[in-house]
Amino acid sequence: MPPGNLTETEIRDWCIDYVRRTVDDPSIAIGPDATFAQMGLDSATSAYFVVELEEWLGSELEPEVVFDHPTIADLARFIVTRPGGGNAGPD
Amino acid sequence: MPAPTDRAARAAAGFASLAELIHHRAAAQPNDRAYVVLSDRGPEESDITFAELERRAAALARRLAARAAPGERALLLCPTGIEFMVAFFGCVLAGVVAVPMMLPRRQSARDASAGIVRDCAPRLALAPRALIDGGRGDLVGRIAAPGLEWLAVDDAQAGDAESDAGGDEGPGSAVPGVAPAPSGDDLALLQYTSGSTSAPKGVMVSHANLLANLAMIKTAFGNTGRSTHVSWAPLYHDMGLIINVLQSFYLGALCVLLAPVAFIQRPPIWLRAISDYRAEVAGGPNFGFDLCVARYRAEQMEGIDLSSWKLAFNGAEPVRAETIRRFSDTFAPHGFAPATIYPAYGMAEATVLISAGRRGAGPVMRPLSRDALQRHRALPPLDAGDAQTVVGCGRALAGERIAIVDPASRERLGADRVGEVWVAGPNVAGGYWRNAEASDAVFGARIAGEENAGGADAGWLRTGDLGFIDVAGELFITGRIKEVVIIRGANHYPQDIEDTAQSCDPALRRNGGAAFTVTERDEPEKLIVVQEVERTERHRIAADEIIGRIREAIVREHEIVPHQIALLRPGALPKTTSGKIQRGRARELWLAGSLDRL
Repeated sequence: MPPGNLTETEIRDWCIDYVRRTVDDPSIAIGPDATFAQMGLDSATSAYFVVELEEWLGSELEPEVVFDHPTIADLARFIVTRPGGGNAGPD
Repeated sequence: MPAPTDRAARAAAGFASLAELIHHRAAAQPNDRAYVVLSDRGPEESDITFAELERRAAALARRLAARAAPGERALLLCPTGIEFMVAFFGCVLAGVVAVPMMLPRRQSARDASAGIVRDCAPRLALAPRALIDGGRGDLVGRIAAPGLEWLAVDDAQAGDAESDAGGDEGPGSAVPGVAPAPSGDDLALLQYTSGSTSAPKGVMVSHANLLANLAMIKTAFGNTGRSTHVSWAPLYHDMGLIINVLQSFYLGALCVLLAPVAFIQRPPIWLRAISDYRAEVAGGPNFGFDLCVARYRAEQMEGIDLSSWKLAFNGAEPVRAETIRRFSDTFAPHGFAPATIYPAYGMAEATVLISAGRRGAGPVMRPLSRDALQRHRALPPLDAGDAQTVVGCGRALAGERIAIVDPASRERLGADRVGEVWVAGPNVAGGYWRNAEASDAVFGARIAGEENAGGADAGWLRTGDLGFIDVAGELFITGRIKEVVIIRGANHYPQDIEDTAQSCDPALRRNGGAAFTVTERDEPEKLIVVQEVERTERHRIAADEIIGRIREAIVREHEIVPHQIALLRPGALPKTTSGKIQRGRARELWLAGSLDRL
């Protein structure tokens, strides 16, 4: 379980690390602005990515969140700005 | 006139159509639960009894009959849930042909939806109200067709109001006053799992086909009215619809359903449901068993007891010995008996099931020479390094015949000889919807020297799969001659994948790509995409960037991740004299490392 309020950067770093380990292919560039599809995550692997991210965040996400926010940068921004969302915002 | 075996199968089935089956179940066990649907996180979300399902299906059938004549088509655009069942059985009672469809993927620009709609010319589209109202993107806009009318399956008020206006009861009718009872030869559904995106092929499945295959499944699986099912397979797929939802209904047993995405996210939900409901029958494509092992965490298994599980059927993609071993090892401490593993083989062209094992006997495994299998021979391995364990898919079903045939000479082959798998029986469908050419190529084949045979041997289904039958009658699938890529139980067509790749950049040559799969050892098949670059462009393109876009497009459009993508020099791919890509030869060159890469 992560500590309290996470920053956008911390979420991005966690996602980049997770995707790099999952994809495990040095020929594929992993970064905040590449789409999940470009990095080789299909619906099945991205669905499980969402579950792991939920567990780390300690709050729920819709399985389709990665289609609405298709890059790591988009997704991290969404998580910290969503209204009333999980670990969101300053307290 | 139906062939003798056809009549026998119908007599055994005991019902003239699925409409009779619905009325029988509702009368025999009105208050038993037919279906339970679980939420994406596990708890029960909804359920329906046999009587309530008949009532809701009949109400919907009245609305359908007011808008469509028997034999017209209705698209079923319902995710896993009670609405799917109401829609399907409503079509049955109205004599309308159900066309189950995958919901268009939001992130995909083109998929098979448009091709299916064009091919079957539907009169109606049935979906839950929330989806029609835009709950999942612009569904109504994506499925547009001339004269297509949308109906909300869960619009209870409309159904009741219209059913009040419904007419008198007529004996023998499926829904009193609105539709004549369907006969066995009438179509129950069109199953679109074959053909490319641009030219999908709808298998015409009749009521008689369904009832025959349901009877065969019951006998082969040893199912009874107490055989509770738990399934995550999508309902638009023949395995999800027929082996789970319709088989349990046929038995009068409970079927517990969860959405595919719920299983993909949390496989233990499936295992926990098997335990909680004391289910006997639960299965799916091979990858589902791999996923359970890959996601295994001991702490999530607390309280799960798999000892009620009698039949873990595995089909829709090649069954792997390694999967069986790992699954059995992982879940044996939780009460799973290894003999529960039950490999099966089938396809929509044969309704769904073609061959299956014996309950409780466990899978039949046979070590064969990997080298000989590459040359389509079944021989003992030369040494340990040459050994590949092939898993048997069971035997022919009651009332069905399987032959191994040389695909070129059409001569029947004996035991242990590899050839194309041909099937005959009352479960073999009538052909592809309004596609005589494709139907002639696949259905109604004749074995050389047996052309004058009548009855059940008059026409055979060519499966496009390669395999052999051993002296004990066990069928082994060893490869395929049809050009289809099967990944995670779904069929993909190479030309669709190549087309997607070539659309990514003008520097990529049209008709200059090949998609094929390779298999390393016992691994599942992996997709390789190779693509030629235009001569004028080859020095100025950013290869890595284009490869990234090709990967993205293939993931978006086809939901599969290529294992490798390579750009080739112009002219590197082998072609026929008429300029068609030779995919098989391209695969050989790829494996030999001799394709001329950029």
